[in-house]
Amino acid sequence: MPRTRSEVVGRAIRTAIRNPGRTILTMLGLAIGVGAFLAMVSFGTGARSSVMEQFEILGTRVVYIWGNMGRRDFGGNARPLTDADVEALLRDGMTIERVVPRITEVQNVKSAFDRYPTKITGTMPDFVQIREWSMLMGGMFDETDVQQRAKVAVIGTTVARELFGRRDPVGQTITIGSNLPLRIIGVLVSKGEQTTGEDMDEIILIPATTYEAFLGMPMGYHELMIQVRDLGLLETAMVEAVPIMRRSHRLADIEEDDFRMASPAQAAELARFVSTILTSLLIGIAAVSLLVGGIGVMNIQLVSVAERTQEIGIRSAIGASPNQIMVQFLAEAVVLSFTGSLVGVGLGWLVSTLVAQAMSWSGTLSPLTMAGAAAFGTSVGVAFGYLPAKRAAQLQPIDALRHE
Amino acid sequence: MSGGSIVEAAGIRKEFPNMASPVLDDVSIDVASGEIVALMGPSGSGKSTLMNILGCLDGPTRGTYSLGGRDVSTLTVRERAWVRLHYIGFIFQSFHLIGDHTVLENVTLPLYYAGVDRHEREARAVELIERVGLGHRLGHRPAQLSGGEKQRVAIARAVSGQPRLLLADEPTGALDTRTGNEVMELLLELHDARALTLIIVTHDPEIAEYCHRQIFLRDGKVVSDGRAHAANA
Repeated sequence: MPRTRSEVVGRAIRTAIRNPGRTILTMLGLAIGVGAFLAMVSFGTGARSSVMEQFEILGTRVVYIWGNMGRRDFGGNARPLTDADVEALLRDGMTIERVVPRITEVQNVKSAFDRYPTKITGTMPDFVQIREWSMLMGGMFDETDVQQRAKVAVIGTTVARELFGRRDPVGQTITIGSNLPLRIIGVLVSKGEQTTGEDMDEIILIPATTYEAFLGMPMGYHELMIQVRDLGLLETAMVEAVPIMRRSHRLADIEEDDFRMASPAQAAELARFVSTILTSLLIGIAAVSLLVGGIGVMNIQLVSVAERTQEIGIRSAIGASPNQIMVQFLAEAVVLSFTGSLVGVGLGWLVSTLVAQAMSWSGTLSPLTMAGAAAFGTSVGVAFGYLPAKRAAQLQPIDALRHE
Repeated sequence: MSGGSIVEAAGIRKEFPNMASPVLDDVSIDVASGEIVALMGPSGSGKSTLMNILGCLDGPTRGTYSLGGRDVSTLTVRERAWVRLHYIGFIFQSFHLIGDHTVLENVTLPLYYAGVDRHEREARAVELIERVGLGHRLGHRPAQLSGGEKQRVAIARAVSGQPRLLLADEPTGALDTRTGNEVMELLLELHDARALTLIIVTHDPEIAEYCHRQIFLRDGKVVSDGRAHAANA
């Protein structure tokens, strides 16, 4: 048959254009199916990478230890987290690179311009290294400041804005409570809001020694942050830290641990696992909607074959072979499915881009994913277009001609 | 007329599964090449069924049918399509044009299925459409045409594949007398110009007047087969 494929496709396109209502109906299901599929894929990957970013804010290679001070179930026997624990971990921990203690409480803070209650954190200079946090202006306090219990502070951008508006806060003084004036020596780069709503820039860092001397630390530190030498040593560090802490707290063998330990990386692993399951679930649902789109193609094409029975009869009477009629309807299914899938890719891209923007997620759809979805949608449409095409080809010309 | 039979049907019987008596019973017809034959009879006489068999739209239950010397009574569905494409043209009472196709596209359709390339088939179709007097209507859709124009397009389409046998089922049945006569004149002109054999199913005696020969069917049997007194070819 010398008829070229492009001519068959050209005729199918012409038929599609000349019957816009039918064309749109056929394409709609697949377009929505493919669009939903892509949107789900991008939600899944976007949510996952967003979860990962959240954990990275808390530091990679980090293990957190929290004390149980004040918890009733320890009957007051829990020991506080102290500098002695920090020293023990640094001395005995083979895997441990840094240990940074932290205590955080809300205090009233005022500047020459404004006042409001916010969180004050007493910690060590390495805090910014562990959190991989850099300075916007000025610098972090150092070991000398710690030793001298210097009255200095490093603040986040939210605090700077609240207390100083647009003024340069470095060199200014803030007062904690009623009697602790602190000179601001640096401002931290903004880290924005976490999805939990916590503002990471709502922060004031002061030397732990200054905190202890002027604000008091009767229950010890709230938390010890341990940075391990290598990400691969995270689990080892968690195993190793337990006996060191127990010894440091002089716990008898029968006593329970009076501290808790966790690492963001482990939590991230769990989150990754959960979000993988969620993503698969979403994609599964989307695949079903794609299938439904395919069934839509089949239904409309079946209706179309029924509607065009007489046309098929005419073509057959003229001398079109069953094969030529089948090819015609299959070509229409290809054109409609392909176009519908392209529209779906457009929809999916649009939705995922809008959502990514709204949620400030980074990753959008890769060209490969979009091409894959288009190809898959087209295959589904063509597969479901086969039955109607076959039915058209099998019509008896006399019956078809008589059909009104 | 030119010699030799184009249609040789012998002992044609056609039964349908849900009918007690056969629709056609032992029908034998010979049509010489170039003849114009009227197939007449009351409704239910079996003339449409006979036309379907002669047009290779259907096969007989029994009997033999050879078209242009070739036995076509036992062909497969696919082979019958091939025979229709290359040997037979159809004209219907209700025109049967494809609604979303233009005049030009309708007329090129047989050539498209025969695999003629686009350029040539459009050239041939345009020539034919001009021949039937619709050169100014190439891009129109059937809905934009009058009944007479539609039938002219249908005739152009029926002959565009250069068939040897043209089957017309009540070709003037949906037209007024004047338009009907014009359509008949056109058919006769094409018959003369293209050496066609023409079989016209009709129950209009006036149309039958145009034909060389009139065959009457009743209850599935040929009851008379004779030359008309006023053949004009």
